[in-house]
Amino acid sequence: MLQIEGVCFMDIKLPKLGEGADSGTVVGILVKEGDRVKKGQTLIELENEKAVAPIPSPAEGVVGRLRVKEGDRVSVGQVILELVSEGQGVPPKPAPAEPAAPAPAARVAERPVAPSPAPLPIAEEEPEAVAADENVPPAASPTIRRLARELGIDLRRIRGSEPGGRIVMADLKLYIQRLERMAAQARATAPATPAARAAAPSVDFSQWGPVVKKPMSALRKTISQRMAENWSTIPHVHQFDEIDITALEELRKAHGPAYEKQGARLTLTSFALVAVVRALKKHPIFNASLDEAEGAIVLKEYFNIGLAVDTEAGLIVPVVRHVDKKSMLELSRDVAEMALKARERKVALEELKGGTFTISNQGGIGGGAFTPVINKPEVAILGLGRSVLKPVVHEGKVQARLMMPVCIGYDHRLIDGGAAARFTVDLARAFASITEADVKL
Amino acid sequence: METIQTQIVVVGGGPGGYAAAFYAADRGKQVILVEMDQRLGGVCLNRGCIPSKAYLQATKMIEEARESERRGVVFAPPQVHLEKLRAWKEAILARLAQGILALAQRRNVQVLWGRGYFEDARTLRVETNEGQKFVKFEQAIIAVGSKAAVPKVFDLGNPRIMTSTEALEMPEVPGDLLIIGGGYNGMELGTVYSLLGSQVVLVEALDTVLGGADKDLIRPVVKAAEKKFKEIRTKSKVLDMATAGKKIKAVIQTGGETREELYDRVLVAVGRVPNGENLGLENTRVQRDERGYIKVNEHQQTDEPGIYAIGDIAGGILLAHKASKEARVAVDVILGEPSAFENIIIPAVVFTDPELAWCGLTEAEAQAKDIKIEVSKFPWSASGRAMTFDRPEGMTKLVIEPETERILGVGIVGHGAGELIAEGVVAVEMGATVRDLAECVHPHPTLSETIMECAELFYGHATHAYARRRAAEAH
Repeated sequence: MLQIEGVCFMDIKLPKLGEGADSGTVVGILVKEGDRVKKGQTLIELENEKAVAPIPSPAEGVVGRLRVKEGDRVSVGQVILELVSEGQGVPPKPAPAEPAAPAPAARVAERPVAPSPAPLPIAEEEPEAVAADENVPPAASPTIRRLARELGIDLRRIRGSEPGGRIVMADLKLYIQRLERMAAQARATAPATPAARAAAPSVDFSQWGPVVKKPMSALRKTISQRMAENWSTIPHVHQFDEIDITALEELRKAHGPAYEKQGARLTLTSFALVAVVRALKKHPIFNASLDEAEGAIVLKEYFNIGLAVDTEAGLIVPVVRHVDKKSMLELSRDVAEMALKARERKVALEELKGGTFTISNQGGIGGGAFTPVINKPEVAILGLGRSVLKPVVHEGKVQARLMMPVCIGYDHRLIDGGAAARFTVDLARAFASITEADVKL
Repeated sequence: METIQTQIVVVGGGPGGYAAAFYAADRGKQVILVEMDQRLGGVCLNRGCIPSKAYLQATKMIEEARESERRGVVFAPPQVHLEKLRAWKEAILARLAQGILALAQRRNVQVLWGRGYFEDARTLRVETNEGQKFVKFEQAIIAVGSKAAVPKVFDLGNPRIMTSTEALEMPEVPGDLLIIGGGYNGMELGTVYSLLGSQVVLVEALDTVLGGADKDLIRPVVKAAEKKFKEIRTKSKVLDMATAGKKIKAVIQTGGETREELYDRVLVAVGRVPNGENLGLENTRVQRDERGYIKVNEHQQTDEPGIYAIGDIAGGILLAHKASKEARVAVDVILGEPSAFENIIIPAVVFTDPELAWCGLTEAEAQAKDIKIEVSKFPWSASGRAMTFDRPEGMTKLVIEPETERILGVGIVGHGAGELIAEGVVAVEMGATVRDLAECVHPHPTLSETIMECAELFYGHATHAYARRRAAEAH
């Protein structure tokens, strides 16, 4: 930062986005050069994994030069734009949101010898380096560059450990070892499939008729990658059933208006959250994860339920936390808030993490039963279809009852068929166990 | 008609061509080197780098002797014996060319003397003194170089209008010499001729000579040249030239004003053009761009499989050391190695006095490409060694990536900058940081210390310079 006669020039850098996220693609620039912005005003929107995160301005001022454009991939610490703040109202030392970047003053005296960039989280499939500038090639000696070329390794994917991000032999070795580990893991989980699937060759479809070709969004790529991974590494089994929700629907109709007065909407999803947690408490294995590396089963004593939200851009799964500790009203509010955030693409990365079980409710759209894909590292998922009135034998008589098709998808490595059948029965009971007392405000 | 089989044929024996031929031979290939000149070495050895450096060295003594007077060591005014000077230069060239030929023989590289012409994509016809020879090859490397450009309007067929080739033959020392073009060629030869006694007027179309280098580095060079030359006229153009008895009449336009001037000789140094004609390239799939340079990819491959192009003919920076590097890439690729000319730093040196050298990213380039940088500059007035050379006008400059403090470029102007820049090349190629340079002990007293001190200055604590701005920022 430079200060001249009361005017501050600040480089606004990309702040830390959250655990494991150190870069993203600029999908929207909400300010122009010369715009006056308030502190907290959104400057750009960054698409990352499953969310679009708004990046707020850390201070008030006038937008100087924009340093990114739509479609740019930016990393934490990279300058997004320059901000000029004038005169009073500006604190003498504005604290820009840039914990990762060293302040210029820090350079002068005793600076730690190794800035040691944080190691990449192991969960990340593709290690990605912090490319400072597209125009600047990765810092590595000619020996390393030659070796990388021979091995077919893109040095931009490696984070150099030396000052200045220089990639040395040790970094290259670590990277190769890591690739090997990842390949071995892939082999261990899916011995029949090759470690890294080669992309299918392009087909020129235009030879048979006109086509439109557009690039996959970052979100679509993530979904595609996750789905392929989850589908191919988890042995899925699906258990179907139908649940009578006639009584629940009556409850919903009776209490819906009261909820609306409170600014909430009582929906079947709220009931499903409550029912699922009741069933999970009886069957903790459905609320577990498999620790493949340690060969252990992790049973979670908290209940964070992911909700699959259908958005224009694609599937997003925000997580409702501590479902067991919330009232029906709180849950209804949470569901509405998450769905809205997801559709406006404002879900924070943190809100996508830590789920223990997922519900995918397609009832509002239509269609019958379907087979949902488990959201790794969870081990089970519940799919809800559209309920229809059906003639059913109820209390000894054929009656028209509102029947909801359900499907439990489960990881057969951890969960046996018997356990799944028992869970399904208990889930139906859990839906039936929701009474007026649970709903009444 | 004789047909010769070979694995690799290299067309052109300059610093790209002979480097390629030798390296390929060293790697076990059977190689034929084709040269149409009388001698190996190309423009660099025969009509460029080497003869100009010989003259620059010889004439530098004239100035040094003159300046020595104020240091208390007085020489008699120098006498220049042109014939002897030419002979000395010639002896250097002959010895070097002989050396290259001997190296070719020791490597069993067969040299075919004559012009090469592609009959098809696997046959090169060579017109030798003993008649036509047909070389059947597996791979060809085209390294035919470039020549000085002479715009049509200047091409009067009058020997008083010279290119660098004729100027380096040095037929005489003209009284009034007009140099058209302020690139390294015009500036270097202007230095030589002005020291030999010519009244040099240099005309440059742009607003500065030596465009491409950073302006702050050019400044000391211009200042020194202005002392030697009669005039440096920027933003000016030579519109027309005509023979006027034993002189050349030049029409020169500066701004809106046009004047006619008489010169004894004119040196046209407006750039170079590729030697892509009469090569039979049309008999192959080799493509050339609109300026005549052969199109290659980063592996030096042309559009014709098996035919490679390197050096000036392949465009880019027209420098001998760039050609030699491309030679290695081309041969590596022929050998099936994954070599590529990518992110390779090509240093540039202008052998004026003071010398100007730079490598990697320049400040101007960073600005144009919108790359964020910081710059550290160390003035040589703070260098003891520069003072003892009596040359305090130099400057060392580092172009730095601010986040990582990595060295992206180095620029040096001053005595011996051409030698000093090599450290800059190593720093940039190795991905060194400012601290790396600051912490490497440099010998005292040398000019190389300016690189270390320039790095120290970045942190605000160079021993021999005080950085007000940074020191203030630190508190």
